[in-house]
Amino acid sequence: MKPVDLARKLRREAAFEPEALDRGKEALMAAIRQEVEPTRRPTIIPQLPYADIRAALSFLERAFGFREIPTSRMEGADGVIHHSLVEFGGSVIGIGTQGAHGAISPQSGGIESQYISVAVTDIEAHYQRALAAGARIAKEPRSGGRAYEALDPEGHRWRFVDQRLRELPTKA
Amino acid sequence: MSSPSDAEVIGRSVGEPEAFGLIYDRHAATLLRFLGRRAGAKVAEGLVGELFRVAFERRKTFDTSRATALPWLYGIGSNLLLKHRRGEARRLRANARLAASHEAGDRRASAAALDARVLFRRVADAIETLPDDEREALLLFAWEELPYQSVAEALELPIGTVRSRLNRARAHLRELLEPKGKRRERTR
Repeated sequence: MKPVDLARKLRREAAFEPEALDRGKEALMAAIRQEVEPTRRPTIIPQLPYADIRAALSFLERAFGFREIPTSRMEGADGVIHHSLVEFGGSVIGIGTQGAHGAISPQSGGIESQYISVAVTDIEAHYQRALAAGARIAKEPRSGGRAYEALDPEGHRWRFVDQRLRELPTKA
Repeated sequence: MSSPSDAEVIGRSVGEPEAFGLIYDRHAATLLRFLGRRAGAKVAEGLVGELFRVAFERRKTFDTSRATALPWLYGIGSNLLLKHRRGEARRLRANARLAASHEAGDRRASAAALDARVLFRRVADAIETLPDDEREALLLFAWEELPYQSVAEALELPIGTVRSRLNRARAHLRELLEPKGKRRERTR
């Protein structure tokens, strides 16, 4: 018998559990997401000042669905959070301590100097979620329910608009 | 519309990483079998994950003039297997025992059975003793049934080198399979 044919005789069929394939796929997709995320470097990050960052993070998640990026949290030894980032869709916002960088929470300053406009996919569901979480509604949904405005516990104003209204004008 | 080639999918995955998942869907089962044959099912599962992560990281270096990514993936797998040589050697000997009992059939105690055991044990040792580059070329060719061109792509060698490497592997095997007394000194 030829050497290669003899070598072939030692070949074995190799079985595997179907779940092994799924687990591998899962691991690969997780690795891919890992690679995608650090490459996200937003050019502009609005920074919002709060007197109570912990309460703000909790409210923003409950009411608006903003997720804190856990690795971004900066916390002192005393457990006080100094800064963190929340994400929503493809965007990121900084949540910081009032007084730092000269920024004051509307609740302390007595005025709102800005508002942030956020596009959402299901405006009605978003509105109901905010309402249920106790957000103060500053402007009820109008124009066919395509937008509404809410205030968070420290008085920052958020405007939520239907994603379909959010087409930026194209450059000439 | 026909489905996109591996090269097209990998090209797209450079800007759109999730697209690489399709490469996994297409080839993971084949590679899991390949790795399982060589290193056992348990190790293979870990290795297949590593293989695709490495492939994903290197996707920009994939030669998109090749339609299928399979040889490239085999090549990454071959490299990963080098770290598992000891387990492979054990497996080879177990395969040799299986092959021998297969060959001898029900004549377990016969002289033929004894011969088969000796022969296949020697085949296992011979494969094990081959230099890494020859063993890898031989097993991709004989076990995975890759054509020369694919072995060349997997090992990143010119096809002529693969041909001569396989010839050397054949010669070495023949030599190693000869009964001890007749074995000549190897001149490598």
